[in-house]
This record gives sequence, C-alpha cells and structure tokens, in this order.
Amino acid sequence: MAAQLPSAAMIPGAPPLLPPLVSSRRLRAQSLSRTLRLWVPAGLLILLAGMCFLLPIIITIPPPTGGSILDANAPLFSPGHILGADPVGNDVFSRICYGGRIAFEVSLAVTAIGMASGCLIGITAGYFGGWVDTILSRVLDVLIAFPALVLTIAIAEGLQPSEFHTILALLVFSVPAFGRISRAATLAVRELPFILAARLSGTGGWRVMVRHVVPNIVPSIATFSLLGIGIVIIIEGALDFLGYGIQPPAPSWGNMIAQGQTVMDVQPQYVLVPSLFLLAMVVAVNALGDALRERWGVR
Amino acid sequence: MTEQAGPGGYSVRPPGETLLSARGVVQEFVVRERGGVKAGIVHAVSGVSFDIMAGETLGIVGETGSGKSTLARALLQAPRPKAGSVTFRGVDLTKLRGRKLLQARRHMQFVFQDPFGSLDPKWQVRSIVEEPLIAYHEGTRDARRKRVAEMLDLVGLDPARFGKRYPRELSGGQAQRVAIARAVALNPSLIICDEAVSSLDVLIQAQVLNLFEKLRGELGLSYLFIAHDLALVKQVSDRVAVMYLGKLCEVGNGEAVYRQPLHPYTRALLDSIPSTEPGAGRATATIKGEPPSPVNPPSGCRFRTRCPLAAERCATEEPLPREMAPGHLVACHFPLMPGDVASTTTPAATSGARRS
Amino acid sequence: MSDTLLDTGTLLKVAGLRVAFALGGRQIHAVNGVSYSVAQRQTLAIIGESGSGKTVSCRALLGLLPSTATVAGSAQFRGTELIGLSDAQLRKHRGTDIAMVFQDPARSLNPTMRVGAQITEAIRTHRQLSKAEAREQAIELLRLVRMPAAERRFHEYPHQLSGGMRQRVMIAIALACRPRLLIADEATTALDVTTQAQIMELLLDLQDQLGMSLIMISHDLGLAASYADEVIVMYGGKVVEQAPSAKLFGVGGAVRMRYTRALLDAIPHLERPAHTLLPVVGGRPPDLSALPEGCSFAPRCAHARDDCRQAEPELAEHVPGHRWACWHPCENGAAPHD
Repeated sequence: MAAQLPSAAMIPGAPPLLPPLVSSRRLRAQSLSRTLRLWVPAGLLILLAGMCFLLPIIITIPPPTGGSILDANAPLFSPGHILGADPVGNDVFSRICYGGRIAFEVSLAVTAIGMASGCLIGITAGYFGGWVDTILSRVLDVLIAFPALVLTIAIAEGLQPSEFHTILALLVFSVPAFGRISRAATLAVRELPFILAARLSGTGGWRVMVRHVVPNIVPSIATFSLLGIGIVIIIEGALDFLGYGIQPPAPSWGNMIAQGQTVMDVQPQYVLVPSLFLLAMVVAVNALGDALRERWGVR
Repeated sequence: MTEQAGPGGYSVRPPGETLLSARGVVQEFVVRERGGVKAGIVHAVSGVSFDIMAGETLGIVGETGSGKSTLARALLQAPRPKAGSVTFRGVDLTKLRGRKLLQARRHMQFVFQDPFGSLDPKWQVRSIVEEPLIAYHEGTRDARRKRVAEMLDLVGLDPARFGKRYPRELSGGQAQRVAIARAVALNPSLIICDEAVSSLDVLIQAQVLNLFEKLRGELGLSYLFIAHDLALVKQVSDRVAVMYLGKLCEVGNGEAVYRQPLHPYTRALLDSIPSTEPGAGRATATIKGEPPSPVNPPSGCRFRTRCPLAAERCATEEPLPREMAPGHLVACHFPLMPGDVASTTTPAATSGARRS
Repeated sequence: MSDTLLDTGTLLKVAGLRVAFALGGRQIHAVNGVSYSVAQRQTLAIIGESGSGKTVSCRALLGLLPSTATVAGSAQFRGTELIGLSDAQLRKHRGTDIAMVFQDPARSLNPTMRVGAQITEAIRTHRQLSKAEAREQAIELLRLVRMPAAERRFHEYPHQLSGGMRQRVMIAIALACRPRLLIADEATTALDVTTQAQIMELLLDLQDQLGMSLIMISHDLGLAASYADEVIVMYGGKVVEQAPSAKLFGVGGAVRMRYTRALLDAIPHLERPAHTLLPVVGGRPPDLSALPEGCSFAPRCAHARDDCRQAEPELAEHVPGHRWACWHPCENGAAPHD
C-alpha cells in the first residue's frame, strides 16, 4: 500500500540552505508602524498640554479676556494675534490655551474621581457577589437610568455654573460607567484559577481583591478611562456650548464655539479653530487608548 | 482486616496511617436557565469514598463528566460538598469554617491544570511562592525569602534567575514548577494534582513527573493524582481508582487494575488506549454510544447504557463495591473474571491487527 | 479526472516547504524544508510537539495562514501546484480535494447555527443543489459518520451535542464534497480516550469506504503506532524521522533519531512499573526565530557531539523505507522500549 516515497535529496528543485523569506524591510515597517501609533497621539497630547499649561507661563501672550475693542476681528496671523482676535478683541490663541486648560482639568478630574469611586463600588460588587452585589448594582443602575446629559444640565442649572460644578455634574455620568466596567472586569477575573489558588494559599478576601483582582483589571480600566476622557471632553464642551458650564467671558472651547456660531457664515474661524483643537484632542486620546489596548492585549 | 462500609465505601485499609479519608462525598450543582429558572441538577459526584495512606500516591482516572475535578475541589471544600465527610489528619474538614478550616487545610495543597492560569500574571515568581508563607504568618521576611529560594531550588529553578520574573516570561514547564514550589512551600502532607501535567508537552511532562517523584522521596509527600490518561495515572500511582459519571467503578493496585481489570469500563478504557508497544493490536472502541448527561444519570449502574454486559439487574439495582481480590474492589454486578483478560500484554482486541 | 490512472499513485507531493512569520520585528521560521508524499488511500501521521511546525505546514497547503506568513517551496496535489495560488483559486480545492478537521469542535462550529445548516452550507458552497437535496445529503452524511439519531441531530445546535458528536459533525462537513485527502489536525486531542477510539475507527472506515487518504497531525506517538501506515516526526520545523509505522513500532522495529527516541521514552507506558523515573530531556523547544547551527535537537540531546552542533544532519534514507536525520542515531536493533 505504501508507494515508493522519494527521498528529499532526489526531489528536483529542492532548495538548498535557506535565505530569509520575509524581507527585513517589511519587518521594520511593521515595527515602526506600531511605535508611531503609540507615540504620535501621545506626543500630540503632550504638545497640547504643554501649550495650554506651560506656554502662557513661559512666553507672554495677551490675556484671554479684557481685550481692546481696537483689536476686534483681527484676522489669522495678525501681528500679536497669531490666531486672530474675536469680535470683542480677545486674542483667540490665548483663549484657546486657557480654554484648553478647562478641557484638560475637567476631563482629568472627572475621570480620576469617577474611576476611584466607580471602581471601588464595582470591584466590591463584583468580587463579593451576593447581597453586596445586588445592593451596589442597584445603586449603579439608578444612576445609569437617568439620561446623563439631561441630568448634568439639571445639576448645572441648579448649582451656579462653574468649573467645579461642571465636574460634579459629569461625575453622575462617569461614576456608574466605571462602576459597571470594573464590575464586569472583576467578574471575569474572579473565575480565573489564580484567584482560587490565592485563596487556597490562605490569603483572605480583601487581600485577594486588592493584590490580585485590582492589578489584573488595571489595563482594561485604563484603556476605558482614556476613551472616557474623550467623551467627557465632548460633553463638557456641549455643556459650555449650551451655556451651562463655564460662562463667558471666561474661555472654554465649548463657549467659544457657541459665540462663534452667531457669525459662522461670515467669519467661520471662530467656530473652526476651537473645533479643530477639540477634534485633535479627542482623536488623540482615542488613538492613544487604542494603541495602549493593542499593546496590553486587552480585549 | 477488610470491611464493607456504607454507600460507595472502599474502606479496605492497607497498613499505614490514613492521611485522608473521604466518605460518601456528594457534590451537585444547580443548572439555571436564563432568568434564573432552575433547569436541573448536575450530579457531579454521587457518593464517593476512599482513603489515602501516608506516603502513597492514589491516582484517579476518569473521562469528561466523571466528576474527578469536582471531587478534588470538594475535598478542599472549595466549594463545600453537599454531603459526606472529608477527614484529613484526623479532622473533618466539612465541619470547619473560616480560620479553623484554613489551619486544617494547610497541609493539603493543590496544583492546577493550567500552569499559567494558576499564577497571577502581575506577580513576580518569588512573590507567588511566598504567598502561602505570608498567609500563614510563617517566620520573618528574611526567613520567608530564604524558604522561597530553597523551594525554587528544589524544583530546579535558579532563584537568582527566576525569582524576579513574571509568569509570561516562563515556559509552561517552568510555570508549573513555580506552582509546585508554591504548593510545597508550607511543607504539606498531601498534594492534589488535577491534570497537573496534561497541558505540557511530552518531554516537559516527563521532567515534571520526575520532579513529583523526587519530591515524593525527599519530602515524603502523598499525592492524589487526577488525570484522564490511564497510562499516566498508573505510572505515577501506587493505587488507581477509576471514576465514571460521579461514581467510583474500581479501585486497586495499579498493576492489578491493569492486568486484571474487573470493571467493564476499566476494560473499555484499556482497550481504547493506542499503544506503541510492539505487537499491540490497534486500539479499539469496545464501548458504545455517547456518555450520558450528569444531569440525568442512568438508574442503577450508571455505566449500563454503554456496557456490553448490561442486564436487567443493572438498571434496577445499583452495584455496591465488593472486594474481589485483596485490595481490589469493583462496583459491578458482573465483574470480569480473571480468565477474560489477556494478562501479559496490552489487552489486544481480537480484530484490528496493526496495519502494515 | 480519471480515478484509475492515479489510484495507486501519489496524491500529494510536498517538496522543500518553508513557512516564516513576521512577528513583532522578528522572523519566526516555523517550517524549514519539509518534504514528503502521500499516496492514494494511505494514512500518514505527522507527529510533533508544539512548535514543531506540523500544523503550520498543513495549513500552508490550503492557504489557511495569516497574512504575516510567507510560504515557499512546492506542494503538488495530483499534479496541481498549490503553493502560490490565490485565495480564489485555492477555494476550488478546499473541501473538494482537500478538507481539514480541526481540534476544537466547540470553536470550529458556529454556535448560533444549527448543525444541519452548517453541513448544507458546506455542500451548497461547492455544488448546485436545492435546499431539499442538500438536506437529504446532509442527513446521509450524518449517518455516514455514525451520528446516532441523525435526523434529530440535524436540527440541533452545537451546544446540545457532546464533544464526540461535534467532531462527527466536523467530519461530516469535511466530507461533504468527498475530498480525496482529509487532514485531521489534532482532531481527537480534545476528546476522551474512549471517544477517540470511536472517532479513529470511524475515520479509518470512512477512508476505506471513500478511498480517501488521511493525514493525522498529532503529538501522540501512540496514535501513529496504532492507526497510521507511515509516520513522520517533526522537530524545529523539519522532518527528523520518517518510516512506515511497522518499521518504527512493529515487532523488531526501531526508532533511530534521538528525538523520536526521547519522545518514546517520555510518554507514559502501561507496561512501566509505578514510580519509574523517566529518562529526562532537559531544555526547551528551539526558538524558531533563532535556530541554532547544526542539529536543532543537539542542545537537548544527551548523545550530542561536536559534529551535531556544527552541521545539520540531512534527512536521508539510510535503510530502505526508513529515513532519519541524525549523526549519531540509536543502535540498530534496539527495540523502542530498551
């Protein structure tokens, strides 16, 4: 039944010792692409942050408010006003910088506080299960059930509009989001053998939660938080746009867009410039989140 | 010297001190449909009894659905069995809670199937091995560190090179060694190995098996070795127990079970094993049909739906274990007689000569 | 194509097959020059551990590798060269000429589709049949693979079936268009040993019935000894030993290459007394991105000498029908278990 099998040496055209199959150029290109996908958005964010926070300290730029009417409507690249001046005479670039501070501050604060409190609730619920989970999950469900944007507007309206109150209003949205995702991540990790192994080694409940569960859900929470930052920035901008957040003349990207809206057909730059910065920041944050997720293997 | 015990009882006592004594262990799980409606009960373990002597290795072999892994967890009380007792070093673990359970369980350790799954990917190797020492408040920090280094040496990993590594930097065999180092850190009496080498490559598997033997000699360990591979189980064990659908079919000395299998299921297992022995016939499937569901196990003898010898009695009356030869027990109404077995080589099927 | 012409001839001829992957900046040489043939109605077992290249080499035949892979060499199926064909061209061969059955039926079957639908889908991909005709054929196939209560199973979902039954469904799908070559990639590894025996018997009976050739990929030498005509052992992406199964495992047979010997010594044997210490092979499988000079098994081989580390041994037919690649093979006449 066995046919006569030719030996390797007898097969015509069998190649001798082996040159590499995959070109090193292709390999380098792949490697470069991966690095760029991480560092380009990260670099962009660092640049933006530096621009908003450090630049006004290092060099002198015109103040964001109290501009002279003489400078009103100065076009782009005018002397002393690199991005022009708004209808009231304020320097646009300066308003971008100070407005950008608001975007960074609010989004980072909301995310940090939301992550800390939301994860505390979610991890506790997920790890202990039972009635603890039931109660805490219902709390989160109540928060989620409220339409987030409407609730934030209501809070912002009830309290005096300010940066601090904006942060509070956005927490209503952020805390349950982190609560849910950390609970889900905890439930996934809880079933893994090494958790049981830790308990069999004698480690107690809280310690297992803190030393084993938390470190293993950090990657998914971290990437989620980056994507969350993008969403918070947009909502914050929307709040300002609607008039509930930072009030003019104090600058924020959202209220700059709102003001520029009235003259959009004639002078679109007042809408476009803050919009572009908003876009750049959100896209950079999302791209960074994607690149980190790829690196850390979070599914 | 020999005694019949209660349901599923195998309480023949070979000489030596009894380390672990399981009696009538029952474990069940509720199967719920969506919405939490109870759809059935999985009878994973239904009355299993056996003893493990100090210094011996008992092997448990069973296929999918046999309940062997569930049994292992039940012995550890993770989760606690629904019924039965587990007496370890004279103390019944099923009656203990919390701190007392922790103390009593200290000398029983566990090695899992997935070498990477059982190690926290965010922890360094030395922390992983140190964890049980910390949990049981053993010694000072320095004493613990020293012990960790000793354990790593014992399993053949150089502490200087491997201590600070993370599990992802280890191979499968190395990861399993770390798990073993962790298991022996507290100097246990009994180690339960649940498919501990099944996911390792063959050559690495041999290394780890040798390590088990070495530790058995140096530390005087007893093992409960659970696997689905009968040849593997026989090779490492003094006595072998065969499980099917939550019940023990046959228990006896490894050689005896191999040379003279008394239970038809053991026979079918042996026939199915493809062997590299010269002159061994081709492995044959003497067993029919599909394994029944543990949610709805057959009445009487659970193996009857696939047994070539099944009769009416098998459906109505559950077979209790009987001792057919010294130390060799079987739960079957029609156990195979010694004459049924081709004793010297691997049981060769009458058909199926090796293809040439 | 006329069957009679090639009935005893070569069905598949693989020559100098090489596969490399680009991964994170490095090149992984998964397959490094593999050559073998499969005749009509023959059962070939390709044995190796993980990383040996056994699965990759067979997937390369059907173009089932990711885009990071590059394939070179030749694989001729009844005279048609498969390497280098486009996906569209290969689709004509997949299922009709060569079919594959994979290891984990739980993941290879679509959990949201009824079992019968998956079989009829496979049938209708290659043939113009009405729904009713395809259904008839599918049930026939289920009966062919000895599925109990075939008509009822047709309407069930994969999760309602046991592992063995799911694997039968996979086989039914693979046989839908009567391929000439069936590749079973660790098809029984995830199954219980009793189910494995059933499935292997089924595969061999089907082989006889349908006149198919079978390639079994596995890490289990026992399977090769028990069921295969011809055995290939792979290590580090190369073939290191090749012989008819009887020559390796039969009475008076011998394995010669040291790796095969190490494998044989390491697997559990029922004959062995309890607590035997196994001859240990240290080290780990070779790093496929940095293969050593000389024999790839030399770093782990207890019998390696200087020439082993310097020059790679050629796979050559030292004894008629028995090929190995080893400078210092096991002694002739030493039985596998000595």
